[in-house]
Formats: sequence, C-alpha cells, structure tokens
Amino acid sequence: MEFGLQLNERPMEAPREAHGHNHWNPYVDTGGTSLAIAGEDFVLVASDTRQSDGYNINTRYDSKAFELSNKTVLALSICSADGKRLYEILEQRAQLYFHKHDKPIGTEALAQLLSNTLYSRRMFPYYVFPILAGVKADGKGVAYSYDALGNMKDVTHIAYGSAAALVQPFLDSQVGFANQRNADPNRQLTRDQAMRIAIDAFTGSTERDIYTGDWLEIFVVDATGVHKEVRELKHD
Amino acid sequence: MTSIGTGYDLSVSTYSPDGRVFQVEYAQKAVDNSGTAIGLRVKDGVVLAVEKIKHSRLLVPNSNKRIMTADKNIGIATAGWMSDTRHLVKRARDEAHSYNSVYKSSIPAKIIAERMGMYVQAYTLYSAVRPFGVSTILASIDKDGPQLYMIEPSGQYVGYRGCAAGKGKQVAKTEIEKLNLEELTVREAVKEAARIIYAAHDDAKDKLFELELSWVCEESNRLHAHVPQSVLDEAIEYAERALDDDDDEMEEDDE
Amino acid sequence: MDPITFELPHTLKAPKAAPSLGPTSRTMQPMITGTSVVAFKYKDGIMMAADCLGSYGSLARFRNENRFMQVGATTLLGASGDMSDFQFMKHKLEDLLTSEYDMDDGQSLGTKSVYKYVSNIMYGRRNKFDPLWNAYVVGGIDNGEAFLGYANLFGTTYQSDCIATGFGAHLAIPILRRRVEGRADEISEEEAVRILDDCMRVLLYRDCRAFNKQRRAKVTAQGVEISEPYALETDWSIADRVVGYGA
Repeated sequence: MEFGLQLNERPMEAPREAHGHNHWNPYVDTGGTSLAIAGEDFVLVASDTRQSDGYNINTRYDSKAFELSNKTVLALSICSADGKRLYEILEQRAQLYFHKHDKPIGTEALAQLLSNTLYSRRMFPYYVFPILAGVKADGKGVAYSYDALGNMKDVTHIAYGSAAALVQPFLDSQVGFANQRNADPNRQLTRDQAMRIAIDAFTGSTERDIYTGDWLEIFVVDATGVHKEVRELKHD
Repeated sequence: MTSIGTGYDLSVSTYSPDGRVFQVEYAQKAVDNSGTAIGLRVKDGVVLAVEKIKHSRLLVPNSNKRIMTADKNIGIATAGWMSDTRHLVKRARDEAHSYNSVYKSSIPAKIIAERMGMYVQAYTLYSAVRPFGVSTILASIDKDGPQLYMIEPSGQYVGYRGCAAGKGKQVAKTEIEKLNLEELTVREAVKEAARIIYAAHDDAKDKLFELELSWVCEESNRLHAHVPQSVLDEAIEYAERALDDDDDEMEEDDE
Repeated sequence: MDPITFELPHTLKAPKAAPSLGPTSRTMQPMITGTSVVAFKYKDGIMMAADCLGSYGSLARFRNENRFMQVGATTLLGASGDMSDFQFMKHKLEDLLTSEYDMDDGQSLGTKSVYKYVSNIMYGRRNKFDPLWNAYVVGGIDNGEAFLGYANLFGTTYQSDCIATGFGAHLAIPILRRRVEGRADEISEEEAVRILDDCMRVLLYRDCRAFNKQRRAKVTAQGVEISEPYALETDWSIADRVVGYGA
C-alpha cells in the first residue's frame, strides 16, 4: 500500500499582496476660466482668480494669467500646478532668449515654443488648456489657443476652463457675430467693447459656474505694453 | 631643496629607493608656503585661527574666507592651496551629508577625520593624480565633546589638543605648547589664538594680512561660526598689545 | 490506493499571476497619518494648530506626535497626512538648512523660499507618480510681511489668509471665513487663540481622527513659537441629543 505524502503545489516565497487598483491619478481640476479677445491692434486676456478643489474654495486669489513679456500674456486653466510650472518654464525660456538675442522674445516665437513645450510631454501631458495672446511684430493683436498636447491655432476669440461652455458661445455671438444676419463680418471691436464683453462673460459665468468667481484679472496688450486691471466678481 | 628626487619625484606611484614618495613631500612644501593656520582644543570648545595673507590692498575686507563650515558644527581651517581646500571642504560637506542621511545624526569628528584622511590618502596612490597641497584642520563639538583633528597631504590624520600648519607653524607650535589647554576657556583661547597668529606673522615677508577667527562652543550654540566682531576686535587688541610688550622686552635686553 | 493529498493554505500558494512581471508598484496609501492643520493670519503674524495624534487607520496609534517643524528663524511648517513622508520632508529641509548655513554668506532662508522648496518637492514627486502623501501649510514672516501657503500631494499650491487641511477644509474654513477673512490685521493674539481653539473644538467633536491633545504654533516678528501640548475644554452634555449618537 502506498502511503506517500504529495503536495499539490510546491510552497513558494511568501505571497505578495496583489494590487488590482494600483493606480493613482495625478491630475486634478482646480477650476477657473480664461478668455482672450483679439482686436485689430490689441488683444484682451481675462482670467478669474478662484482656485477650487471639489466643493471647496482653496483661495479667492490665485492668478492664472501671467505677463511673459511686454507684449505677451499667457492664460492657463484646469490644473493650477501644471499651469504654474508651464508658466515658469516659459518665463525662464523667455529670459534666456532675451539674454541670448539681446531683445525680448516675440509673441509668435513664444507661441511655437509653448506648443513644443506642451508636446514634449506628450506621454504625460500638462493638464492645461493655454491661451497665449499678444501683439505680433506688425503690431496686430493675436490670440493662440492650444489643447493640452500642443495643438495650436490662432483665433479671434477663445474661452477655456470650467465656464468655457458658457463663455465660448457668448463670444461666438458677440465677438464672432455668429448667426447674426445683419452683422458686418469685418467689423472690428474696440477696446471698450472687448472689455465690456469680457466683464459680462465673467459676471455671467460667476452666476452659473461654481468654479468661477472672486476676482477678475484683465490684461490689455497693445503696442505700448501690457495694461493690467483687477475687478471684483461675486465671492459666493 | 634638501633632497633631489633623481627621477623618483615625478609620480606618487613610485617610491624612491630609500622608501619615500617625493610628491607627497612636495605637497607638504606647498602647505609650508601658506599663511599660518592653527587650532586650539580647550575645555569648552575649539578655536580656529588663520593668518590670511592678502596679496593686494584692493581686496574687500573679510572676503575670500579661509575658514569654512563643513557641517553646522564642523569648521575647517586650512593651510595650503585654496583651490584644493575648496575641493576638500566640498568633500567634507558631502561626507557629513551622507552620514546624516544614513544615521540622521551629525557625523562624529573621528569619522569625518577618518573619511577625509582616506580620501586625501587615495591621492597619494595613483600616477594620474597629484596629492592635495593642503593641511586640513578640522574642529567640532560632537557627543564626546570638543574635537580637533589635522589631516596632512599624506592622508595621515591625528587628533590634537592644539595644532598648527603653514609658514609660522614652528613659532605657533612653540607658543601653543606653553598654553594650558585643558584649563583654558574658548573666550581665553580666542585671544591666545590671535596672539599666536600675530606672533607667527612675519612682517618683513608679508605686509598685509587679516586674522580670521572661528569657534565651536556653547556660546555659538554648538555651531561652527566666525567669532562676533566684538570678540575679534578684543582678540586683535590683545594680540597687538602682546606684540608690543615683546618688542619692549627685547629693547630692554639690548640695553 | 491514492496517495493522501491536501491543499496548502492560500498564504503559501504561488501567486496566480506573478506580481514581479507587472508594472512597477508603489505604496499608494498612507500608513500613520495626521489629521487637519488649521492656520490663519492675524495682527502679529501667523497662527497654526494641529493635534498630536498619529493614526494607524482608525487606531489611535501614536498619541504624542509633533506635526510642526520650525524651518530657519521665521518659518513654520505644519503637516497632515502620512507621517513618514513628513519625516522625509523634515530631513530634506534640515539638509537644506545645513547647506545654507555652510555657505556662510550672511543670508538666511526666507519663508517664501521654504514654501517654494516644499512645493517643488511635492510637484516633483507627483510627476514621478510617487507622491508624498501630505498636505503642508507653510507660514511665516518674509521681509516683514506675513505669508501663508499650502501644498499637497498633487502639487497643488495656493496662498490665502486662512488655510485648513483635511477635515479642517470643511469644518474650520467656514468659521475662519466668517471670523478672519478680510480682517486678519485686526485680530489680536487673544482673539486668534480663541478662534483657533473654536475651530479645533469643532474638529474634535466631528473628526474621528482628531484628538484632544494639540499644539498651537505662531510666527511673529519675534520668531517661531511652538506650544507644549494642551487639551481643549469640551462639553459632551448635549451629545445624546445628536441624531445617531448612542442609543
């Protein structure tokens, strides 16, 4: 009679815990809205300053639009951490350009640089939707809009961020004169008009979007430089 | 020069027939050309002093420090080449940092002295390198109290109560030997150190010099720091008075 | 006859899928944790509070943790989240302080520099998918001006007159918004302490990971002061009228 001991499976090293859900998501949406309106000889950029985390307001004043030179402004939205780092990189590169070439970097060069910088992180993108706006070498106002991967397009008006879906159609109508039968498609906005549209866009967004509000930073860029203005939005 | 290498002095990787490594001895010569540096270990701390010879009146006062800090509680004063010194101080900082990142406590003096000794010694072994032209005086307070070590270009490191390197080391050592280091306080030692540097200074050869003084003691919160200006001024006054007294005595002897 | 066979306990069985062949895995959960840090600006500078508990899940494991660190002469760091990551950060800051001291250039680290350093480490680790599981509050006086900033495991940073981490963001911030926001420079030290204790009391009542032994810390022109642990006065007499409490 056979009376052997047989192990079904041989003992192995101590079992390790198997992680099924081993992924941590590094992306956060801290909210906020930015827009740009390009005019004939100026461009206007506006961003609110609220930073949120879910239903919490982290702070009422956290800038996400920055001067990169005396003729260019960069406005970010979505992930504040990535936005700040992207701004630092561009700021450093602009500085470097200035020291190497003995002149400030132009808006078009910065626009391409921004696209390249975003694309360099194709496999781990910056979670931002940047707007770069300024005056070109010929003095004309221009705004570039990007997706997070670096796809770039120059536009006459653009809105990004938590209230983009509210602001973009408004700009399409009021800046682009979309679906306005009697509008002159070549009509150019004045600064005053652009300013009023931007302010209305944000006061409206503040009412309907909980992630937009507190303060509004408006930059008007023209041949004479960058002019910044801060206005109050509702704090609720 | 006392000894001619006769071909055995070109490389540290070759001994001379009578068992010497000339390059190391030449490195020692480089040290002997430098302004004097001394260290005094007394009962409540350690004092470092350096005779910083200035090659120009145009130098900003207190610039080009010759006493440096390797860790918060470790000071380094050197005699020899400053470029080599800076390299060694960086090495000492790295050693202190690496010890701290492993043990989360500051590196004991005997350990950093040993590691620096080993490092310097490695530069006496290979033909591709040259020994450091530096004698490193290392001062600290660790858990065993005040500590003083000196590392020679050969890599030899020894713990001292008082030590000296550089041009005036003979004079300085004679003076240090007269001190009662066990009984001295740092406050007194600072003055004595200043006096010794002034005594070791050769006014005929090097007109301009600056005294650098630092300490590690309770008064500096066990940190290595340059002494406060008031303490420095007091020490210099004491040193100058002592020199004058000496001169007076010598004049009396002449009569 | 068939041989006798038996099953090995599951702990000794070979893993079905060898984990070593999978993607790099890292510990993605905190172990010993600290709960909220509450901080705000007042007339003389910065006030901060945090309790002394290091929780192991729901177990009150370490009851004498210090969640503050003084960084240089005028900066205070408060930590919530994983305590080993906090110790790592403390070590990094000590290193930084040492190398600054060794420079011997008469300069010292300002609060904003410390904040930027902490923020950069947090953002850098998030980019490596290996975050430090913390939310930090950095407070201090930089060039005569009060500074208060926040940084967390996502690299998110912001500055504000009132900051609270964890549950504090839900329970303390509404109190601070009412009593501090807009009037920080009118608040005396006595009032600041009252406000802080009121916030900490609410957290103590409602946050299961809070503990009635805490430290208060402040930064003023005179420097940093971290208090010894103290307890808050509490009143549980109304507790039985709270829905869900007891029977």
